[in-house]
Amino acid sequence: MTPTEINWPVALRATDSGEQAAAMRALRDVLHHGLRIALSSRGDVSEAHLEDFVQESLIRILDRLDQFQGRSKFTTWAQAIALNTAFTELRRKRWQDVSLDALLADGERLAEPGMMAEDVLGAQEDRQHLVAVLREAIEHELTPKQRAAILGELREMPFDQIVELLGTSRSAAYKMLHDARRALKQRLQAAGITGTDIQNAFNL
Amino acid sequence: MKPPDQQLTSAQVGSVLKMLALTTERELNCSECLQHVGEFAETRLASQPVDAVMASIEQHLALCPECREEFEALMTILQAGQ
Ligand SMILES: [Zn+2]
Repeated sequence: MTPTEINWPVALRATDSGEQAAAMRALRDVLHHGLRIALSSRGDVSEAHLEDFVQESLIRILDRLDQFQGRSKFTTWAQAIALNTAFTELRRKRWQDVSLDALLADGERLAEPGMMAEDVLGAQEDRQHLVAVLREAIEHELTPKQRAAILGELREMPFDQIVELLGTSRSAAYKMLHDARRALKQRLQAAGITGTDIQNAFNL
Repeated sequence: MKPPDQQLTSAQVGSVLKMLALTTERELNCSECLQHVGEFAETRLASQPVDAVMASIEQHLALCPECREEFEALMTILQAGQ
């Protein structure tokens, strides 16, 4: 059978162990093929990594079979979980040596003028005003941990890593970041800056 | 991590400002996004209109670089299979 002909949720739950094992093998092939395509341009992913990602993904997928609602193809849903598994692991490796102290210290300096490269300001006046307001908002509206978390986001640190460094739960970290972003946004709005102003100033 | 004393680039400051511009009162988290992103990718591929749930996925993807990275990889896989 081809992947499109398999009734995955049924086959993966089959009590007939032969049928279940066959479905697992087929799903393993689908995920392996997909991850290989998605990660082929990266130099840091070996064949052994791929195997590990597929293995871990299969466990996660079986664990949450009940959450599949049939609103996409099963293989698309499963592939998304496999990608999340792989990327989470790859990001974790990249950031594993960063400490909370380093991030907090980095965050403290976020409002300093020297923290931003020359080209952030550019020549435009609207942009200089915007960055000045942002900097002031960062300094006055945020707690040290919020500054560290925003900075982590800015540096494209994985969310899981931020959660780990802050020593909090995912939901608490979400709330903290969301509160921080809302506080900054309110400050920008109070200064008369709109979303359009931002888009124009930074050519977004 | 890039060295802590490294300056922020224009793109980074721009992205945080964009994030602020898109911030709303109620937002999806990454787990909720993961649950629906497959449907969103298929909707996108079929060029179908987005409903309210799909619109909230779109908003999360605009805000969250990690989910966006995974979404783009998923699109690569789906496009290769077409
Ligand atoms: Zn996300």
